[in-house]
Amino acid sequence: MNDEAKSNCPARTDGEPTATRAAVPMVIFVVMLLLLFLGAVYFDHHSGWFDAKVYSPYVSAEQLELYQPKSGAAAAAAQGRKVYETVCGICHGVDGMGKPNQAPPLAGSEWVNGAGFHRLAQIPLLGLNGSFQVEGRDWNLNMAPMGAALSDADLAAVITYIRTSWGNKAGAVSADDVKAVRAVVGGHPAISAAQLNSIPE
Amino acid sequence: MKNGFSVFMAAFIALGLSWCGFVLGPVEQLGTAKQTSVLNSSDTYPVQRSGDATLGLQVYRASGCAACHTEQVRQDGVVCEVVLINTGKNAAVVSNLVSTLKLDGLTKDEADAVSDKITTAGGKAEIRIVPVGTDIARGWGVRRSVAADFLYDYPVQAGSLRAGPDLANVGARLPDLNWQLVHLYAPAAVVKNSAMPPFRFLFELRKLGDAPLPDALQFPKEFLPPAGFEVVPTPEAKQLAAYLLSLRADAPLYEAPFTPVTTKP
Repeated sequence: MNDEAKSNCPARTDGEPTATRAAVPMVIFVVMLLLLFLGAVYFDHHSGWFDAKVYSPYVSAEQLELYQPKSGAAAAAAQGRKVYETVCGICHGVDGMGKPNQAPPLAGSEWVNGAGFHRLAQIPLLGLNGSFQVEGRDWNLNMAPMGAALSDADLAAVITYIRTSWGNKAGAVSADDVKAVRAVVGGHPAISAAQLNSIPE
Repeated sequence: MKNGFSVFMAAFIALGLSWCGFVLGPVEQLGTAKQTSVLNSSDTYPVQRSGDATLGLQVYRASGCAACHTEQVRQDGVVCEVVLINTGKNAAVVSNLVSTLKLDGLTKDEADAVSDKITTAGGKAEIRIVPVGTDIARGWGVRRSVAADFLYDYPVQAGSLRAGPDLANVGARLPDLNWQLVHLYAPAAVVKNSAMPPFRFLFELRKLGDAPLPDALQFPKEFLPPAGFEVVPTPEAKQLAAYLLSLRADAPLYEAPFTPVTTKP
């Protein structure tokens, strides 16, 4: 009786049972590597490298940059904005409101919104010296000439930008227009308001 | 329990890592988001809502609108199309060339190649960026929704179920105040077979005075209120309508670029 009961029990051993060592099947490594690869492909197509500006369907910042609308009028506007913010905005303010004792406002300025561009174009081209009035306020400053630093296309883009931004509604200026102005006045020292007023708009 | 400390640390690290990924990361990326500028323009986006519209967001929330409406437009892809602006001097050559070229459904590289061909022939072409997708084909929006669209929404009413149409751009799609109010009072009056429940508790049915109030709703003929009565919106209805009209996700942004149709020559 006692022997029979004993034979139904598993043999007693000391301590808890432990597994012996066994090799992990190779197929598990293969499946893991495959999943890792698929994950990496998905990451490459969908993560945008965690850039806050990159949303699907764009997969990278470079592709997003490529798809920015940049042709025709839109391209000129983008270029004008870029030139303005790097060159002009330092004194005139990126909002076009000017800065006291540094530069007059361009938004709403009668110099910017003139019917023609011949006076306006000469200001960035040659610089401006002495006293002048903007919207009834007196200014007496020296503006550095930018004609040597900026190409005709850049000058045209930035003049168009200031004439069409912040509520300004004047017409666009082409690179050929600027070229024509430069051909006439290029090399002239900084101009004064009185000289500007003596030429037709 | 054996290894209690290890189990605790494993759980702590697993939860901590997912908290970093789902909470800390997004806050780090977008927590300090500010107004951005509209592409190729000096305008900023989004514009702060009017007071009425800000209160309207809470009416929207309280009325459970987000249970059936989303505020997120999806975009499946982006294509380019090339538009001929002028033919230049060799009009015949350029128009012949253009008629042989595929001008829409292009990738950016293909569009650049086509544009170069036209330019070489003496014409002038513009490349237009056109978002595509089923939501956009339905007219629900012009581009996908991005984080900037929700800058002034608190809480964001993105929604997840579409028993009704998407409202991300409803202010641009349906800009008529009276339409919005009539639609809230009696959806079937303006949208045939609408499944939307009427929100009449936002309105008052009033006895007509000497003259109709200026605020009173203008109904189509078949849906007029009983004779001698008029329907007047409560302040909540006006706030909700103001909020709906303020939902305009139609500005081109750097992160969701497109060429606005208004610049079409």
